[in-house]
Amino acid sequence: MMFASPWVLFALAALPLLWWLLRVTPPSPRIERFPAIRLLFGLVAQAETPARTPWWLLALRCLAAGLVILGLARPVLDAGAQLPGSGAVLLVIDDGWAAARDWPRRMLAANTALDRAERTGRPVALLATAAAETATPPRATAAMPAADLRPLVEALRPKPWNPDRAAAATAAAASTASSVVAISDGLTGGPAWTPYATALAALGPVEELRGEDIPARLLLPPKSEADGLVVRVAQAPQPLDGEAAIRAVSADGRTLARMVLKIPAGTGAAEGPMKLPPELRNRLARLVLDGPATAAGVVLLDERWRRRPVGLIAGDATTAATPLTGQLFYLRRALEPFTELREAEIPALLAREISVIVLADRVVPDGPERDMLADWVAKGGLLIRFAGPRTAEHPDTLLPVKMLDGDRQLGGAMSWSQPAGLAAFQPGTPFAGLAVPEEVRVTRQVLAAPALRLTEATWARLADGTPLVTQATRGAGRVVLFHVTANADWSDLPLSGLFVDMLRRLVDLANGVSGSEDASAERLAPVETLDGFGQPGAPPGAAMALTNAELTAAIAGPRSPPGTYGPETARRVLNLANHMAAPEAAPPIPGASQTPLGGVPPERALAPWLLAAALALLAIDLLISLRLRGLLRPAAAMLALALLTNPAAAQSLQLSAESNPARATRLAYMNTGDPQVDDIVRAGLTGLSDYVNRRTAAYLADPAAVTPGQDDLSLYPLIYWAITPDADSLPPAAVAALNLFMANGGIILIDTRNGGSGAGFADGAEAALERAGRGLAIPVLAQLTQAHVLARSFYLLGEFPGRFAGDPVWVQRDQDRSNDSVSPVIIGGHDWASAWAVDAQGRNPYATIPGGARQRVLAYRFGVNIVMYALTGNYKGDQVHVPALLQRLGE
Amino acid sequence: MSHSARHAEALGARLPPLLVTAERVAATVAQGVHGRRRVGQGDSFWQYRPFLPGDAVNRIDWRQSARSDRAFVRETEWEAAQTVALWRDGGETMRWKKAGPVEKAERAELLLLALAALLLRGGERVRLIGTEGRPVSGLDRLASLLGQMNDPGGVPPEAPLPRHAQVVLIGDFLAPLETIQAAVGRLAAIPTRGHLLQVLDPAEALLPYEGRVRFEGVRREAATLISRVESVRDAYAARLAAQQDGLQAICRAAGWGFSVHRTDHPAEAALLGLYMALAPQVGRR
Repeated sequence: MMFASPWVLFALAALPLLWWLLRVTPPSPRIERFPAIRLLFGLVAQAETPARTPWWLLALRCLAAGLVILGLARPVLDAGAQLPGSGAVLLVIDDGWAAARDWPRRMLAANTALDRAERTGRPVALLATAAAETATPPRATAAMPAADLRPLVEALRPKPWNPDRAAAATAAAASTASSVVAISDGLTGGPAWTPYATALAALGPVEELRGEDIPARLLLPPKSEADGLVVRVAQAPQPLDGEAAIRAVSADGRTLARMVLKIPAGTGAAEGPMKLPPELRNRLARLVLDGPATAAGVVLLDERWRRRPVGLIAGDATTAATPLTGQLFYLRRALEPFTELREAEIPALLAREISVIVLADRVVPDGPERDMLADWVAKGGLLIRFAGPRTAEHPDTLLPVKMLDGDRQLGGAMSWSQPAGLAAFQPGTPFAGLAVPEEVRVTRQVLAAPALRLTEATWARLADGTPLVTQATRGAGRVVLFHVTANADWSDLPLSGLFVDMLRRLVDLANGVSGSEDASAERLAPVETLDGFGQPGAPPGAAMALTNAELTAAIAGPRSPPGTYGPETARRVLNLANHMAAPEAAPPIPGASQTPLGGVPPERALAPWLLAAALALLAIDLLISLRLRGLLRPAAAMLALALLTNPAAAQSLQLSAESNPARATRLAYMNTGDPQVDDIVRAGLTGLSDYVNRRTAAYLADPAAVTPGQDDLSLYPLIYWAITPDADSLPPAAVAALNLFMANGGIILIDTRNGGSGAGFADGAEAALERAGRGLAIPVLAQLTQAHVLARSFYLLGEFPGRFAGDPVWVQRDQDRSNDSVSPVIIGGHDWASAWAVDAQGRNPYATIPGGARQRVLAYRFGVNIVMYALTGNYKGDQVHVPALLQRLGE
Repeated sequence: MSHSARHAEALGARLPPLLVTAERVAATVAQGVHGRRRVGQGDSFWQYRPFLPGDAVNRIDWRQSARSDRAFVRETEWEAAQTVALWRDGGETMRWKKAGPVEKAERAELLLLALAALLLRGGERVRLIGTEGRPVSGLDRLASLLGQMNDPGGVPPEAPLPRHAQVVLIGDFLAPLETIQAAVGRLAAIPTRGHLLQVLDPAEALLPYEGRVRFEGVRREAATLISRVESVRDAYAARLAAQQDGLQAICRAAGWGFSVHRTDHPAEAALLGLYMALAPQVGRR
């Protein structure tokens, strides 16, 4: 501790004088009204001892005066550390991506350094090591008083790119400062670290501050796999095992999935599969690393990571799957790694969202099927067709070009010609840039009728110029025809790697990426870029429009900040981790004194606190003086004091009354022991309670967590029980409490959270349900149908979806009159709580699967029905008798 | 019924109705319910006696006379009601409390009303000194009169009381003894009998203050600064005792009773004291 104005402390010498002055002045007398005053007249106190102010009051006043003097001397706590060296100080702040993880701490450290410099009157120069948004390389400011530099430091923000060590080294070498305070992000940030460290060390004594406790993590772009993504995280190797949680987030900010990656000690990278249903994967917009918000923790995903379901239909279903000869055999092998395949008839395929349909020698005769397919293509579908004997014989109308009758055979016994190879792909076609293997030979093909625009419609041709792949746009969609079969009967093409690449390019086409990836010279303007904290915003002024090729090769920097580029239809993203070297821990700066960031408490000025304490003491003194003079009632004084010191005290009584569960109807949920699940369920029940309060006359208070056997369950009409896969069996007391609850008319809603479209989300929940439900008096169950009261207790419902849909829901089969025919248990797996959940912003944080606003509305309606069922029993069930009653009345 | 009246009634209900001894009742005393065991004016039957010459004819009880040959005259018992005049000090010195639970005035009013309730149940006529008009017969009326009473306090005002009335004065009687003596002497000369009850706050009785205190009169008439109150406590007690002795002497000279009541003591005790003072004492007659 030190004093900024130590000369004020001389005033402390005057305290004894104050003591003496206060002592000789008698306190002013108390004033009392007294009826019998007449009897007091003339009475004189016999021993006239001088009336004195009590010693403790004197001490109080002297203490207050002492505090005022101390406060005016401006003491500063924790100001022990001094800046290194003497003369001008160079304050070096790393403001690259790695600094964002603990930016406030770095700002605090910078301010502390400025405080110290200000106190000792040393000028400070600032050097931020990352290039500014204006693409100017790092430059040291002129040395100036710390107070003038403060606004510049306050204005610093972390940048979503690497620090420019080389330029920083040059800037440091040019500096005239004689000592250095470096707030380092702990990473080398490139090969130029050594010259940079040398340049700093050359200036004079260096103090280096590092925050080692939070590792700087870099979320790498994921790899696409058949059933999901492989998520990758990189960091400088740490001595301890770490964990990184990664969330998959949709474009509207909802979490689609979350996974935790273990990063073993000593390794710099970890990866793990993130399983996502195809529907969810298509809605995936970004991956976000949980923890401090940084640009390095956000990976934006564009069309290249999306999966589109592909439908396969063979002309001859019976032989389609035959190994090596079947029509779909090669197609499956080629498409499976990067798409989701579905095989069904046309109506079934079109019933679900599908982006590509492949017809392998399948003729679509005119009729409703053909119309459906044509409609779908016109709306943007991509129809890929393969020729074959059937198509050759009966060409239909869904072909890109007009066919000549029959087919053409090359190199057969009756032919002079040799089997033809492929010509190189023309630029401007989707296949441009693919290498053409020599060994591919086409022995047989169907022929397009010569037409004016045949050349434009051709994407691939044989060496002799015959079209091999033709295409035509139909509405918003496209029809592509391979003039050969999808198996090896007519050509070697399906056997080559080219086949896979061609199909991939075509399926990419369905994603909206038009033209070839690299060939287009069109520049894509930045649309939205990330700042250092990973928040999207307007692109900085220096950001340039880039071509596809440049984007692919770009490293994040002020000219190419991470973010999204290009028009709506052809969005491309540039990620911070693009081409970035793995993070590498930086060795300490030679000769620098090392200080952990945040390890030194920031210095604190004590003056305001001392003055406040003196004021408080003087206020107490005033109260005591008033009391001594009889002008204050003690009870009133205590009340005033209590209200001043604790304004919340008055509310506490009300609050405790509010939390009494018996004072309001509320839903309850079981404590599962998994805080994440508990949070979801609580948010879900809160959302449902709000919905019920808005839509019905029922009023539900905030939901409560219960532990059966400990809490009184009789206060709750409904208990939501989410079964976690690791749920253990219940203790006997809990089982007894739940059985009593059910016997007395309570309802338990059991949710395994993996039903229907959510299959695979919580593996093992069925086994867990069996474990956890052991001992419970579950009645004989039956499927919940539309005829059940639960389907009509408030809304008329035909299905009962939650976050997932499609699985049956189970209720008691037999009607138990003693319990008002109310089923004591409702069992399902639709994860209703997630569908009901509402976050602090009033949004629904969990996406519904398969999705749509309708599913969420239905989920809420089912929730309302359950609440009504729990609150009113089966009285709506009487409506089933209405027709019979009306009939009887008619008779 | 007002609150104080109800409280007083409840307090008085625990004691039997009070019949005030009416000694030396003169003809001027208004008629009342005290049977004098003698023939006289009243409503209660006393005796039949044979008609004597000189009796007014309209006094013959014809029904009784018809039973025999002689004429009878019906005589009623001579009944007399005693007037009890009550007064309480309503001055500013009474509207004060320090250590006691209630103000002195409040306690005095309670005692007065309780006593009145007892008296009214006994059939006595009760009136308030300081208000105009006739005796009252209802506790409610008394309570409302009490509320209207405008009393500068100190000593009872002059009032035209019937002779041989009973007087009960309740107050703190901290005024100079001469003024009190004059007032009591005036009442005693009517003549009346009576009782004087001094109501004091515990703080007045004990002077529990400490340290440097500036005492001001309740009426702000004067002030005195005492540097150490605890040192004058004994002197004050002596002065208070002298005042009470003076009051006792004044009362004795007038043939009245005197007692002291502190507001931290139960009101029942004071009421019982008043009851004992007013009730006909066994063996005294």
